[in-house]
Amino acid sequence: MPNQSGSVYGLTLLSPIIGDPHAPVSHDLQLRLILGSMPRDHESPFAKVDSTHMCRLTVMNDVIYVGMPACEEHLQLQYLVFESNFDGDLETYLRRMAQQIPETVDAVWSHCLGYPGVINPDAFVAYMKKCQVTTTFYFADVNDKTVGQTLTALQTQSAVGAFVERNAGVHGAPLQQAFLKLMSDLREAPAPQPGSGREDANLCAVAGAGASSIHE
Amino acid sequence: MTNITGKTYAMNAITPMKPWKTWLLRTVFFILGHVASLRNDLVNLSFIHFARWVIIPRQGFPHVTEDQPYEQLKYDYLLFFSNFNGTWNQYIDAFSSVLSNGLNQIWRWSEKFPGSVPVTPFKQYIARVQFETDFYYTAYPHAATNDVKAAHRVTDALHDFERQSAAMNPEQFEKAYQSFLVKVQRDLGSTGMAPVGT
Repeated sequence: MPNQSGSVYGLTLLSPIIGDPHAPVSHDLQLRLILGSMPRDHESPFAKVDSTHMCRLTVMNDVIYVGMPACEEHLQLQYLVFESNFDGDLETYLRRMAQQIPETVDAVWSHCLGYPGVINPDAFVAYMKKCQVTTTFYFADVNDKTVGQTLTALQTQSAVGAFVERNAGVHGAPLQQAFLKLMSDLREAPAPQPGSGREDANLCAVAGAGASSIHE
Repeated sequence: MTNITGKTYAMNAITPMKPWKTWLLRTVFFILGHVASLRNDLVNLSFIHFARWVIIPRQGFPHVTEDQPYEQLKYDYLLFFSNFNGTWNQYIDAFSSVLSNGLNQIWRWSEKFPGSVPVTPFKQYIARVQFETDFYYTAYPHAATNDVKAAHRVTDALHDFERQSAAMNPEQFEKAYQSFLVKVQRDLGSTGMAPVGT
């Protein structure tokens, strides 16, 4: 299946942008204003659709003329490109978008031709599938881990690094107790937030708690 | 910069192809998809989270309403999207020096592709066919793909060590702990902000 690599799905959508010469502000510019102001961190709407590894949205103005002797040609409309890499299947992902970030989806895709809105999820899913282009070749470097597993692994890695540093020179029973505390704290640590890049902070806090017991 | 979030760069490129060449490229991708050893360089470079090539036939642009005009194109188009770590220059340099044969097989069917070696005309071509990203999100902005793989190795090793050391006395535990450290020491680097580059 060309859109899939392991458990990761590579979605590519091209949605035609409304070409209205009478609009006071062209739809492509309105789109760029919206996209440029959308948060990119843990407050990003796509952090709420937490199966998203990485995604992008951009306006494709036209095809590109590479110079003579190639022919110069142009698109009839501009297209909104949505490229996303996520866990699971397409249908579930699109329905999660409609349920979890309806305002964002409506704000962005309402500038596209024929967009039905998320109010009718079936029509929304059908529209998005109509805009899909099939990936010819898809590469995912890590294709067997979910977003949650990766964030937790990064948290664990950071906690272990901090633990090793804090416990250099500690031996025997105190070391073993500190390790048990580390593992217990890791199990109870809150899941890292997608998009925050704050796995380190959580991890160090966990490792700090694990190590502190040996100094008490 | 809109193309960059955290440690990851979003590249978009589109190149025209004569339709009869599209089938040759589809054959290249079919072989690439079925012969794992041909992907070794791509895997070993280990700085691309996700990448994709999409061939759009000249009549294959999505048509969603009756009143949408049909595209009138002579060329098919090859779209390329990549999510990579490092700077644009590092990426193109690495492509040119390590993956030149593979890349030539993919892009040689595109109009006016100069070849990936020497690197200067290759960079000029990529700069010409690239278009900017307006919004870019990554769930783990401070982690390169090597960080992700290292983190999973540490996690797996940690859980193995926890299981194996559960019934050990303190002396046995300390010895096993040293072995665990030797096993994971190369994977304990910390993540964080990427250096600024161009």
